[in-house]
Amino acid sequence: MLKINNYDSLILRNISFELQNKNLIILGSNGAGKTTLAKVLCGIIPSLNVFIEEKNPSGIYGDERAKLINYIPPKLEVYDDFMSVEEFLEINKLYSYKSIDEVLRLVNCEYIKNKKCKNLSSGESQLLLLSSAILHNAKYTIFDEPTSNLDPQKIKNSFHILQDEDILQNKIIITHNLNLAYKLGFDILFIKDGRIAFNDSSEQFFSDANLQLFFSDSVKKHDDNIVVNL
Amino acid sequence: MRYFLVFLSLLILLISPFFGQIDISFANIFDTTKMDYQIFWDIRLPRTILAFFVGAILALSGLVFQTIFRNPMSSPFTLGVASGATLFTAIAIVLGLSSFVSFFAFLGSLATIVILFIIASRFHSSETSSLLLVGIALSFFYSASLMVLFFISNLQESYEIVRFTMGSLDIVGFKDTYLVILAGIFILFMVKYYQNSIKLLLVSYQFAHLKGCNVKQTNYILLISVSIAVGICVSITGPIGFVGLIVPHIIKTITQKSAHTLILPIFFYGGIFLVLCDLIARNLGTTSDIPIGVVTSFLGAPFFIYLIIKRKK
Repeated sequence: MLKINNYDSLILRNISFELQNKNLIILGSNGAGKTTLAKVLCGIIPSLNVFIEEKNPSGIYGDERAKLINYIPPKLEVYDDFMSVEEFLEINKLYSYKSIDEVLRLVNCEYIKNKKCKNLSSGESQLLLLSSAILHNAKYTIFDEPTSNLDPQKIKNSFHILQDEDILQNKIIITHNLNLAYKLGFDILFIKDGRIAFNDSSEQFFSDANLQLFFSDSVKKHDDNIVVNL
Repeated sequence: MRYFLVFLSLLILLISPFFGQIDISFANIFDTTKMDYQIFWDIRLPRTILAFFVGAILALSGLVFQTIFRNPMSSPFTLGVASGATLFTAIAIVLGLSSFVSFFAFLGSLATIVILFIIASRFHSSETSSLLLVGIALSFFYSASLMVLFFISNLQESYEIVRFTMGSLDIVGFKDTYLVILAGIFILFMVKYYQNSIKLLLVSYQFAHLKGCNVKQTNYILLISVSIAVGICVSITGPIGFVGLIVPHIIKTITQKSAHTLILPIFFYGGIFLVLCDLIARNLGTTSDIPIGVVTSFLGAPFFIYLIIKRKK
C-alpha cells in the first residue's frame, strides 16, 4: 500500500490519499504541483509523511527502495555524452524478467539500441524512458507525462502498454492528455492550486458536470473521446 | 590502434628513465660501481614512477570531479582544491613545519572540498556553473593569501614556496614515491569499488537516487578519497595543473565511450601523459629542467583545443 498523510509544503497543501493494488491518474493544470507530488512520493523530496509498504522511501537505500517505487521524468536527462541506449537500459534492468530486446520490441523502437542516449529525438527518449520503467519493474511506477512528445501512433502503442496489467502494475500516471486518462479508466486524482480537488473513479470525473467544473468549456466529449474544444 | 597505443605507452615508460641530462646505458644499471647505477635507481626510476602515479591520480580525480559536480570544466585545479593544498603547504613552510607538509596539504584540499560542498548543498543540482565560479573565486582567494605569506616570510622561505608552487617531480630515492603509489592504488580501488554508483551518477542524481544509490554518502566518500590522494600528490610535487582537466576529456573523445568504462584507461594514460611531459621537460637541453606544468600546458592545450574543434564538426 502507498500512503501519504497530511503532506504540506510551499506548493502542496494537506495532501492525503491511499493506493492499494490500483492504478491512478493525476490530473491538474500546469504548475498545480503534480510533479512535486510525484517527487515527494518517491523520496526525491524527502518527507516523513509518505509510506510505501510501511516504509518511508526517503529513509531507505539500495534494493529496499528501488524495488518499491520508480519515477519516470517527462524528459530523459543523461549527463554522460557517450552512454549508449543499451548501457542505459542495462542499469535499469532490476526486477523484470524481460530482456532488453524484448522490451524495445514492445515499445516498437528496436532500432535505437545502439544509438547514444544524447542523439535520440524527444519521442525516442520518451520511449526509452518507458522501456526503462518496464525493465526496472518496481512495485509502484510514477510516469510524469509519458506521452507528451509522441506522435499519435506511438501514443496509441504506449496506451496499450500502460493499460496492460501484466507489463507493469500499480502505475501512477501524470498527464495532460485527457483522452488517454479517460480511456485508461483508472481512478482520478485532480490537483488544483496544490490541493486535492477530486479523488474518485474515472466515471465520476468524466461526467459532463465535472468536465464543465474542472475544465469549463475547453474540452468536450465527442464520439466517446475527450477532445480539446478549439 | 588500441594495441599500438598501449605498446607506445609502455615504450615511453621503459625508455623514460634512460634519458636526461646524463644519458645512461642499459648495460651499466646493474653495475653498482658505476654512476649510472646511482642515477638510474635513486633518481630516474623513482621519478618516472612518481610521474606515472601523480598523473594517474590527477586524471582519475578529474573524472570523479566531472562526474560529481556535473560539469566538464571541473577538476581538482579549477575548483581550487589543489590551490588549497598549495596554500596550506606554504603555511607549513612558513611555520617551520616542513616535515608535516603532506598533512597540511591534505588539510588544505579537504577544507576546500568541505567549503565547496557546503556551498553546493545550497544550490539546485542544475546550478553547477555557480559552483565552478565559487571554485574560481576560492582559487583567487588562495593566491591572494599566498601573496600575504610571501610578504611575511623570509627570503629562504619565499624561495621554498616559489619553487614549490612551480610544481616539480625532483625527488631523490623512493621514500616519497611509495606514498604516492599507495595514494594511487587507494584512489583506483575506491573509484573501482564505486563504479556502479558512478555509472548511475553519470545519468543524473535523481536517477541514481531512484535506483537505490545513497547519493550524498557516495559523493562524500569519493570526494574525501580524492582530496586525500590529491593532497598527497600536491604535498610532494606541488601543483601540476591541466592533467586532471584534459586527460578524461581526451580519452572520452577518442574512445567515444561512456566514462564509467574508462576508469582504467584514464588512470593509465593520465600516468603516461605526465611521464611523457616529464621526459620532454628533462630533455630540452636547458641547463635546468623546466617546470613540468609548463610542458603539460604546452602539450595539452593545443591538443585539447584540436579535439574540441574536431568534435564540434
